[in-house]
Amino acid sequence: MMCTVSFACRRAALRPPVGIFAIRPMHSSQVVHSPETLPTSTTSATQPITTLAMRGSNQMSLEQPQNKAEYVLSTLDKVVNWARQGSIWPMTFGLACCAVEMMHMAAARYDQDRLGVVFRASPRQSDVMIVAGTLTNKMAPALRKVYDQMPEPRWVVSMGSCANGGGYYHYSYSVVRGCDRIVPVDIYVPGCPPTAEALLYGMLQLQRKMRRNRKSVLWYRK
Amino acid sequence: MVSIIRYVRNIRRTGIKQWWHQMQYIGDAKAGTHVGTDQFGNRYFENLNPEDELPGRHRWVDFAQHFNNATQVPAEWHSWLSHIRQLPPSEDKVMQNMSPPWKAPWTENLTGTRGAYRPYNTVVPKIRAWQPKVASRGESNP
Repeated sequence: MMCTVSFACRRAALRPPVGIFAIRPMHSSQVVHSPETLPTSTTSATQPITTLAMRGSNQMSLEQPQNKAEYVLSTLDKVVNWARQGSIWPMTFGLACCAVEMMHMAAARYDQDRLGVVFRASPRQSDVMIVAGTLTNKMAPALRKVYDQMPEPRWVVSMGSCANGGGYYHYSYSVVRGCDRIVPVDIYVPGCPPTAEALLYGMLQLQRKMRRNRKSVLWYRK
Repeated sequence: MVSIIRYVRNIRRTGIKQWWHQMQYIGDAKAGTHVGTDQFGNRYFENLNPEDELPGRHRWVDFAQHFNNATQVPAEWHSWLSHIRQLPPSEDKVMQNMSPPWKAPWTENLTGTRGAYRPYNTVVPKIRAWQPKVASRGESNP
């Protein structure tokens, strides 16, 4: 009897839930229920749409401390995030014309240095790798090697349609169809080539991703 | 022009509290006329005096949210901010008359949240799972 009940429970837990909101990582312990009807837009400054969209998510749960230890740890996490997002040092992997736009991001008009983004020509001291341009089959092992030399935590920004998915050279015999086949990519910047403004906006989105980090809270809850 | 005199002058114009707020977000002491506020509470300013602001820095936005980005500026105010339209949307008769009734409300970029756009495939899947067909055996066969 118990056996059947437990099987039923397990089957209920494993049953693929319906709806878009049912997409969840495999490691989450609780089934994420689809939230009540969310507004598609809001004009509130204290509860912006980005906050409303995260309602009921595991990330939202991580960001709200449940006891004093978690409060301390999440504050520590925030300090770490602040430090990380204030000094993003990209490893420049300029492969093609996108690299020129990447240089424009460093130049006076867009001035990446005001965000603490400084190009570092060594993979061992950089945080982010900006893959700018067409990744060819010949270059792919070198890219992976450079990525492996970067210390944790590391992020990858894929810049331009060639790096995103092959782009113009998608059907070429010698081009990797997207650098996400070689390295895990965090931010995709679309465009051919993307403007320096777009790349800088991509770096701001990367900052948003860095802000989500709650590694010590995750460790504590585990 | 950017100078220490302008900086001190702008602090005196805006006040210490506003100066502190601007140094946290804009990174400069700026003073100008408050042109308007959009539906999100972002405030828009203008200062056309070349003694105060360099051309190109004469229109700016003070965001309502702490974690701000450029997509929080709605399209109408974006066109004013980047000099596509001369008049702000609150005074621009052309923009008010041209605004279509079916226009959706502005949403900022939701990348990285659960509201992010997820593309989906609309073509026939190229890979199909193999469905075994069991041939009937026994009585029907001679």
